[in-house]
Amino acid sequence: MTEAPFVLDEQLARFELDAARARTSAEVQKLRVDWLGKGHGVVTAFLGLLREVPKDEKGAYGAGVNKLKARVEARLKELEGAAAAEAARAAESARAVDVTLPPRVPAVGRLHPLTVVRRRIEASFRSLGYEVADGPEVESDWYNFESLNFPPDHPARDAVDTFFVKGGGTGRDRLLLRTHTSPVQMRTMLSRKPPIRILCPGRVFRKDDIDPRHLPVFNQIEGLAVDEGITFADLRGTLAAFARTFFGDRAKVRFGPTFFPFVEPGVDVAVSCVLCEQKGCRVCSGSGWIEIMGAGMVHPKVLENGGIDPERYTGFAFGMGVDRIALLLHGLPDLRLLLENDLRFLDRVWSS
Amino acid sequence: MKMSLSWLASYLPGPAPDPSAAAERLTSVGFIVEGREGEGASTVYDVEVTANRPDGMNHRGLAREAAVALGREFRDPGPGPVSESGRPAAELAAIVIEEGELCPRYSARVIEGIRMGPASAAVRARLESIGSNAISAPVDATNHVLWDIGQPMHAFDLDRLAKGKDGRPTIVVRLARPGEKLVTLDGVERTLAGDQLVIADAEKPVALAGVMGGLHSAISDSTTRILLESAHFHPGAVRRTAKATGMHTDASHRFERGTDPLTTLDGLDRAARIIAADCGGEVRPGVIDAVARPFAARTLGLRLARLGSFLGMEVAPERCLSILAALGFAPERKGGAGDVIEVTVPSWRIDVAGEIDLVEEIIRCVGYDQLPETLPPVFEPGESAESSILEDRARDQLAGLGLTEAHNYSFVSGAENAPFVPAGPGEPVEIENPLGEPFSTLRATPVVGLLRSAQHNVRRSRADLGLFEVARSFGWKDGQVAERRSAAFLLAGRRQSHWSDAAREADFFDGTGIVAGLFSGLGAPAPRFEAAPFPFLAEGRSARIVAEGGAVAGWVGVLASPLAEGWDLADPVVGDVDLDAIPKPAPVTSVEIPSRFPGSSVDLTLTHRKEIPWRLVEETVKRAGPAELLAVDANNRYSGPGVAPGFVKTNLSLRFGSPERSLSREEVNGWRDSAARALLALPETGVDGID
Repeated sequence: MTEAPFVLDEQLARFELDAARARTSAEVQKLRVDWLGKGHGVVTAFLGLLREVPKDEKGAYGAGVNKLKARVEARLKELEGAAAAEAARAAESARAVDVTLPPRVPAVGRLHPLTVVRRRIEASFRSLGYEVADGPEVESDWYNFESLNFPPDHPARDAVDTFFVKGGGTGRDRLLLRTHTSPVQMRTMLSRKPPIRILCPGRVFRKDDIDPRHLPVFNQIEGLAVDEGITFADLRGTLAAFARTFFGDRAKVRFGPTFFPFVEPGVDVAVSCVLCEQKGCRVCSGSGWIEIMGAGMVHPKVLENGGIDPERYTGFAFGMGVDRIALLLHGLPDLRLLLENDLRFLDRVWSS
Repeated sequence: MKMSLSWLASYLPGPAPDPSAAAERLTSVGFIVEGREGEGASTVYDVEVTANRPDGMNHRGLAREAAVALGREFRDPGPGPVSESGRPAAELAAIVIEEGELCPRYSARVIEGIRMGPASAAVRARLESIGSNAISAPVDATNHVLWDIGQPMHAFDLDRLAKGKDGRPTIVVRLARPGEKLVTLDGVERTLAGDQLVIADAEKPVALAGVMGGLHSAISDSTTRILLESAHFHPGAVRRTAKATGMHTDASHRFERGTDPLTTLDGLDRAARIIAADCGGEVRPGVIDAVARPFAARTLGLRLARLGSFLGMEVAPERCLSILAALGFAPERKGGAGDVIEVTVPSWRIDVAGEIDLVEEIIRCVGYDQLPETLPPVFEPGESAESSILEDRARDQLAGLGLTEAHNYSFVSGAENAPFVPAGPGEPVEIENPLGEPFSTLRATPVVGLLRSAQHNVRRSRADLGLFEVARSFGWKDGQVAERRSAAFLLAGRRQSHWSDAAREADFFDGTGIVAGLFSGLGAPAPRFEAAPFPFLAEGRSARIVAEGGAVAGWVGVLASPLAEGWDLADPVVGDVDLDAIPKPAPVTSVEIPSRFPGSSVDLTLTHRKEIPWRLVEETVKRAGPAELLAVDANNRYSGPGVAPGFVKTNLSLRFGSPERSLSREEVNGWRDSAARALLALPETGVDGID
């Protein structure tokens, strides 16, 4: 039986040939039964022959069979692993999807452009230390007009077409829809001491016929700063700082004299057109400037009405229309788009 | 307001100013040139003159501003001499002012022997250049004066004025007697009220003071004797009449804003010269000049230190003096410690009432572009109003829940609003002077606007909608207009439709889900939903939102079909949450650490009458449960085959956990059994697996 190792080498070669053909787990399973099976497995059979091997050859024979067995087991394990991986791959590929089909998008909510623009404006002023104040939309004549230096029966009121509340009383208590958010300024002055730095955003109402440039309801942001030593130059610097944060580093502001009863001096504030770099375009009507707000130094009478000593304190106020700025930023032709809530518009304006 | 450049230039000695430069400079001092017609000397500006500057609403006044703006000399040649002859005017007419407050001064001239005819070509050309039609020499003369120096005037036919006791035609400036009638020049008969100032003759009103003359006493082709009126009226008096009669004339526009009290005589002379020249009459000697309240010039002081500290820049005192002098303020510097410039306010500057107005005069003439840009002193910032923070957080939450924000008008029609009034803050708030019925009522809930928005989108084939609006709801309550901060929403069409699933229509629980999501996002305890009928919601799919603590925080449900159909919608889900009723979470100062032990849960299935609300089931389990019971959830609700009619099967989960230990299967099962026993006590209720 000196040839036993040779026989075993032959068996090993045969096993390698069989193994090379086994791919699927069934084939690998059959291979295992053929070679390691309890009854007729080749390795099992050779192990069974050990009893019949002469004593002096038992050592070599046993080592040879064990070598064969170890090799077969290792190879089978390898093949079984590969077959299992292949089976898993096949199972996965059965679950493959067409990745180009439309995704299941959760509902995506959006904020209205008026909210987005308002918050951007607020953020600019918040960084300068302003806080947001709030007040009623239905106001009394006193808060909306008289306290702000619009005397009763004064032509300055003609510029501000006002909606009145039916059954809303008379005189200074007469109820109306606020025409600006300035009543919030007055309420703030009456409720606390300077220093005051507030922003008053909110809906305001003017009796304008609805057209591309006018809505009877629109949104305003007013600001008020009252303190010792506040100057007209501070107003200009503040609005210039705002223009730069809001419209870009190169934006400049220009003041032009105008009249509002509650401020003196009163100014129209224009920002340099950042769309055309002041070369003149449709948005700025070729002038290079876009009027975006009114402003001025708080009138001493208004400070007095707010319980603030105008000799000790000075202040400035400004106000701008959020709708108009939204129009400008989004290049909209018509303010009415902002109140139609057409989803095709709201989706588009967001992606711009 | 149209202004002729050549007319302006007649007050500026020297060559006519360049049209572009003049326009730019006028704009820079506050008279905004909005438009321009014509070229060179025939340039006509369209100038926006603010309500506080009536003195700029005539050529002389605007020329004064132009002179300062352009650094030119201003010179008023004056009316020139009037040649007078015949009987003194005072013998031909008399003036009585009964209301001295309302009419401080009334001046008149008498011209006799005129032949009606057109005004001279020069006068007509000027008027026509600014768009004023030439009519006849006397009318054109008064119009010319109005546009020249801002004094509104009127020409009466002297023979049409009733005579007083002394035989002279008499002008009486008085209040109308209630019910008196006057046919004005425009042919309209007006019934007057007792607070309206009129010009009357000895018998009857002949003009609405400062607004319009009467037809009867107006000059006509046959007129030969005229009385020229040149008066100063109180702005409020003219405004009252103009508003009450709904009239607005060039005269009332100026009187309402305030005319120069000292131009009455100047105006008379200018008009008389034109009429005498063009109509050939004789101007009778003297002016009948009734002065009820003499004009007193105002004096003011401008503290130079105040000027600098207010502006944040220094202006040289000499510059201040020259600006104020050019504007007619006759300034005088009183040096010393309190360095003050004293001025006398010119009669035409009715807008200048205090030191601050002088500051504005200085800086607008120096130029706003000279102002430095500085920032106010630093200070300690405060907190924004809680209400506005809350509104914005609600917007973020609702957008996060997949809804799109809408903005709508605050007013709606009365009919659109009416169904929602029972759930609003009070009785409907109507607008006295609305733009029309569709805008007549302040909405009781923003839902009304959302319905309009939904309709707009549905009509454009966007039927799957989730919209919200955070805005005010209005209602009369206890004699006041209450404003409620509402977070309103609307869901319509399919929710989350995808090719892989069957589409599902938005239903009631999507609505309560939005509400619960909003509460949760705002850190508030979950709200309760109580079945409650609202007339605008579908019966049985209508709930009141109740916050922890019991406050009613709005409503939610499916819109009743008839209403929904009116908006082109089918079963939209709508809701309105009162933001102020959402409990404010207390600041969290110590967070409870989640238990290290995993906890355990068991299911129960019960069969019960469908009238038994989930909330009763939940509370029954909770009452029977131990401290370790953390939550009770509904897994499934079933009715149909295998369940008796009128009954439903509800599968629920009980979650248990302890911060201190793991729970044993036995104790959890014990708790489940006691929960089941408690549920069995409910009427006609069975629990699967338990008898």
